[in-house]
Amino acid sequence: MFNLIDGNSFSNNLEDFDSIRSVLLYSDLEPEWLDDIQKNGELFYLELSEGEEEAALARVAASQCLSTNHVRFSEKEAEVITEQAGTQRRGSRRKGEPALKKLARILGRKRRPSQRKGGKDGSRGKATPSPPASILKTQPGQQQGVAVQQRRRLKEACVYLNPKRLASSPTPLCERGGLLEALLGVVHRPAWTGGQTDRGAVRQDGRLTVHGLIPNSPAIKCGQILIGDVLLAVDDVDVSPENIERVLSCIPGPTQVRLLFLKPLEFSLFGYKAQKMKASPPVSQLVRLLWGEDTAELQMAIGHIPHIVMYLSLKLDSSSLQEEEEILYQYPVSEASSQLKGVRGIFLTLCDMLENVTGGHIISSSLLLGKHLVHVGYWKEHNNLLVVGLPAERVPLLSLQTVVGDVVRTLKVMYGSLNSAFCKPDHAPRLDHFFCLFFQQLIQPWRLREGAPPPLPDVSGSLFLDGLPAVRWLTLPPEIKMEVDTVLSDFESSDFGEMSEDFFGLRRLYVILGSCLFYKSYLIANHLPKEDLLDVCLYCQHFCLLPLASEQRVGQLVIWREVFPQQRASGGPAPGFSQPQGRHFLLIVGLRHFMQCVLLEAGGCASPALGSPGPDCVYVDQVKATLLQLNTLEAAMEERLNVPSAPCLSCADWFLPAATTRDRLDSLASSSPVLSKLAGAIRGSPSGHRGRSLFGEKSRRSSPQRSLSDSGSEGPMDAGSGLPAAPGLSPHSTPDSGRRIGGRRDSLGSDGSGGSGGLFKMPRMKHPNPFYLGTLKKTLTDRETEEMYNTTKLTSGTENTLFHYVLMETVQGIFIAPTHREVAQLSGSIHPQLICNFHHCCLSIRAAFQQSLPARGCRAADRSQRSGWGLGPVKEHGVLFQCKPENWTDQKKPAPTMTYWVIGRMLLEPVPQEFYVCFHDSVPEVPVEMAFRLSFGLGL
Amino acid sequence: MLQDGSTQLLCLTASSGVPLFTRGASKQLPFSVIGSLNGVHMFGGGQGALLSSCETEGGGKVVWKVFHDSVMLIAVSGGGSSGACIGEEESRLQRLLENVWSCMVLVLGQDELVNLRNIERLKRDLRSCFCLIDKLLEEKHQGVLGDLTHCADSLVPPNPTPLQEAVDGFAQAADSEFGCLFVHGRIVVATEKWWRLAPQEVVLLCALVRTLSASGSASCDYPVFLPQGSPTVAHRLLRFQLLPGADVCVLCGPTPSLQKAETELVGRFWSPLIETLRSCLAVGERCLPGSVPLRPDVLALLLINRETRRSVSCVQISSHHPLSDSSLSKSRCWELLKLFYIFSISRYFTQEETLCGSPEESTQSSHTEDFLHGFSHQPQQCYLVTEECKSYGLQTQQHQFFLLVLPSVPTFALRTVATQTLADIISATAF
Repeated sequence: MFNLIDGNSFSNNLEDFDSIRSVLLYSDLEPEWLDDIQKNGELFYLELSEGEEEAALARVAASQCLSTNHVRFSEKEAEVITEQAGTQRRGSRRKGEPALKKLARILGRKRRPSQRKGGKDGSRGKATPSPPASILKTQPGQQQGVAVQQRRRLKEACVYLNPKRLASSPTPLCERGGLLEALLGVVHRPAWTGGQTDRGAVRQDGRLTVHGLIPNSPAIKCGQILIGDVLLAVDDVDVSPENIERVLSCIPGPTQVRLLFLKPLEFSLFGYKAQKMKASPPVSQLVRLLWGEDTAELQMAIGHIPHIVMYLSLKLDSSSLQEEEEILYQYPVSEASSQLKGVRGIFLTLCDMLENVTGGHIISSSLLLGKHLVHVGYWKEHNNLLVVGLPAERVPLLSLQTVVGDVVRTLKVMYGSLNSAFCKPDHAPRLDHFFCLFFQQLIQPWRLREGAPPPLPDVSGSLFLDGLPAVRWLTLPPEIKMEVDTVLSDFESSDFGEMSEDFFGLRRLYVILGSCLFYKSYLIANHLPKEDLLDVCLYCQHFCLLPLASEQRVGQLVIWREVFPQQRASGGPAPGFSQPQGRHFLLIVGLRHFMQCVLLEAGGCASPALGSPGPDCVYVDQVKATLLQLNTLEAAMEERLNVPSAPCLSCADWFLPAATTRDRLDSLASSSPVLSKLAGAIRGSPSGHRGRSLFGEKSRRSSPQRSLSDSGSEGPMDAGSGLPAAPGLSPHSTPDSGRRIGGRRDSLGSDGSGGSGGLFKMPRMKHPNPFYLGTLKKTLTDRETEEMYNTTKLTSGTENTLFHYVLMETVQGIFIAPTHREVAQLSGSIHPQLICNFHHCCLSIRAAFQQSLPARGCRAADRSQRSGWGLGPVKEHGVLFQCKPENWTDQKKPAPTMTYWVIGRMLLEPVPQEFYVCFHDSVPEVPVEMAFRLSFGLGL
Repeated sequence: MLQDGSTQLLCLTASSGVPLFTRGASKQLPFSVIGSLNGVHMFGGGQGALLSSCETEGGGKVVWKVFHDSVMLIAVSGGGSSGACIGEEESRLQRLLENVWSCMVLVLGQDELVNLRNIERLKRDLRSCFCLIDKLLEEKHQGVLGDLTHCADSLVPPNPTPLQEAVDGFAQAADSEFGCLFVHGRIVVATEKWWRLAPQEVVLLCALVRTLSASGSASCDYPVFLPQGSPTVAHRLLRFQLLPGADVCVLCGPTPSLQKAETELVGRFWSPLIETLRSCLAVGERCLPGSVPLRPDVLALLLINRETRRSVSCVQISSHHPLSDSSLSKSRCWELLKLFYIFSISRYFTQEETLCGSPEESTQSSHTEDFLHGFSHQPQQCYLVTEECKSYGLQTQQHQFFLLVLPSVPTFALRTVATQTLADIISATAF
């Protein structure tokens, strides 16, 4: 809620402020998320953007399925302001917030309170989520008057309605049909009885029978509403011809409504089935899960896989006779997990006993449950023991400790300590939600993503990348980076309006300790200390906020909660300097693809926080304003994402002997007319569209053959990167395969003197990139290989042989890896496998690094006596892999093979870094060695 | 509490939990601990949750295994210096338990172990296995990796043909198809049938011969059960010392008597070959004849022939080498070689399964190598750069090769060094 402020009072220091900020500041619009704030001040508010929602609905319509989710749509703030300024004008002061919130609830009941509270409302049962209580509902009894036998003829349809379009459309509101026609697109003629032949025609007077559908209306788009259906209810509100207009007029803004229809008799059988059929989710499972819907179904899907989390008490209190009193918390309740629960005695005994036997806490144990091998991780805190059981096929023993460590740290960040997390009974539903997310991400991560499950889920990939004590970083061109940093600094200086102290002459509520900014799951700016950044990132990772922002445009995301940053809690790094005793709050605001996490401190310099304060509108709006300001940079970000960064990558498939690749491409081309046309076009007109960068490139390369091949490969690439401009082609696959066709053809066609050298990468380097390893490596590889390998390869000349890489900067807590888009552009059939394999191998390499390191981190004290790993400190570790194409059917010839290295290197000097690369075997050793040296010497 | 680096072995009856013996660490674990270790496993088994291993901070590890539903073996390792990391230590202990069980079968026969009639008598009988089990538990014995690799440690003689003929003839004369010549506890030559024994049996027989020859007697007649071949029927193992460090042995039936064989056969077959044997002894721990050139910066190597299940290993410490690190002792080299082998095997390379015990037990052990199955592509080679040395491992269809070189060797040259060394050895010895 916004404070109503007399604008004169601080007019003079407003002039130089951003218009967005001022607008936000002066608008007295009540924020949408206000109703979602929990008693304890926490907020988890997520809404999808309009485009997302329509796409989702289109999918629903296409699959003829029911949808049950309820989404609120965001509009541009400015629009909302104009619309609702009149209805909601009310003043408030900060201190008066609670009272006003109540008032707001009474007055502002125009929106339904959503169920997207992330399971925090506690009402979410373990079995099925209760249906949302609709505000529109006028009577408690649902579908009164509907006979029991009619129930099987009922059908539900979800329709997306946007009253705003109504206002904006030039056509006047249809007088006769009213809102029903204009908004919904359903034609109902009360007097129209002619032509009705079925028996029910006589009784139709009081009913809203669908007599027709208006083209392009929501009703017809949803595909489920048929002529003859009788509309019974809108969002559980019974409707009749008398009240329908009133009900529809109550819909305040764009939303999805659930319509209940009674079908004509002949269709009842189908209808029954349709209703029984489980709906395919219109929005991704992840969003549903975050909203706290539908966890039962997801959980059921993994019910047979043994997994459990238990918080057990090691204290024996013989006086109480309660059963299972030692289980302080347990999730989930399934058959497989009950078996693990049944043997909790083992965990307790081992935890207690082994410390005396081997002199260390127990870390893990492995159990065989039927056919499933289960690894159990332990974490002991005070007199309690956290036990996490995970299936071995998902979490190898090597990474179990990291996984358990991370979940413990996340819990500690959220609740301060394990005890405070688990021992409060009212936390249970939230913990259920927390661990549901945890297990879903580990066991069936593909269910949370959209689309079909990938043939080969990169489980190790997420294990490895999430397990790194670092955040994925996106290097930006310096000018953009500076702009972003400036905007963030502006915000963090918090001298704006009500955030500044001299505004009211009061102590400010919060001190902004720092913030970090994500764009599509990449960290692009960070003003937080490393440990705080990791805390924040763990939280985001756990709630899948990063993939969420990259896959879907988030309409609005506001998260507010008290957090307990681990570094600050443990007293800070410097002796003699004590951290101010304050409370910390995490504010995450997401808009579209941007997400900003702000760490606030109350107490210390700011006024101490009392009770459990909810999100402060001023701060939320300032973050929002920052994000809106940053939105102007979105184009630049996209451009950056479209341009592969300096270490250019190759696709593994290119390295298999050309015959197979060509065959496959030919078959691909012949099967798809678009492709063959494209391929023909590439061959036919080499001077098609040409990227800007190409000219620069051409000046460097004089060979006509080169430039021909360059344009051949560059043409479709540009079509791909200029995606919004050329939507006709499928953005990912077509240009890419076109590129491959072009590239391959040319390199094959060349007589061996030209070569496909920098074909795939050089022309696309547009930005001077701070991460210039690739450039160096590239030049090295080029030069050296040209000298050393002249005729040995099928495609003579030099090819870029780098497949994948991960560079982690331990000090800054960031890592760099090729962007998802870069990887997607490489496509190929072997390449995804290769990346999986790379990540799996990295797990092993990193485990070797970790185990050889002198102990650090939260368990440092316990590990100090450890005399080190048997093999001694590992500096570098590499594995050579061989791969063969799958489904090799040719019996006569042996399958072609390709070998590649995965190498990890850890450096402690000058800055601690870990570097993992994957490259083709053909690289001579010398340049690899030099590339390593150079990259480490230069850093980021 | 266990000392760092020591391993304790507990043996109990699976059904009743009666302790049969404990070996290993100098200080025995308290009985209550032994009881609870057994108890948790039994409890889990009753609930359908079979406990297989446990790990503690600092590399401590506990591994359980039940053999033939009759004997439970528990290995407790204190972690510390010998502690490899997570997966590695476990596979070492798993292998140890299998070996211990096979040892017990080798000495006592499977019948007596499976049908526990008289526990007190079994306890007494088991004492005869102790020296063998202690050998397996002992970390220090250098130069022998067979119990880990389950491939027979071999020594490649400079001139194998006359020795092969002698062994074949000697075994035939002793009414046996199984004959073998050992030098320094490694197999030099053996009859064809000997190589058809299960690899684990060969390894255990090697260990047995080593302990017998360490006893100093010139000859002995020892009844053995073959854990795979004939777990219930005993054979006679006749062993004769030809020279100090060189032993010949045959597995035979009731005839001939030890006396007869010693007086009649040994002299006839072996006295003409004394000089050849001496040259074998001179090869010593290098295991490879002098004709095989080894680069001076090679510290240690282990070569396994995956088809014949034989291995050659050696450590060469050239103290006069200017670049050699004086801090790296011979025993440390062996330890590093062993650790690197375990590291590579448990993560990247496949280890030939040795069928031990019942089929369901072997499937259980294959579960522990879940990490290996996670690779979508086949690992071929790997290397590790540590502070003390650089290690390189590679696997081909026929061989597995593990090489330790000085840290001064550039990393990018490792692969060439390794493949070259492997090629040299194979071409020189046809191993």
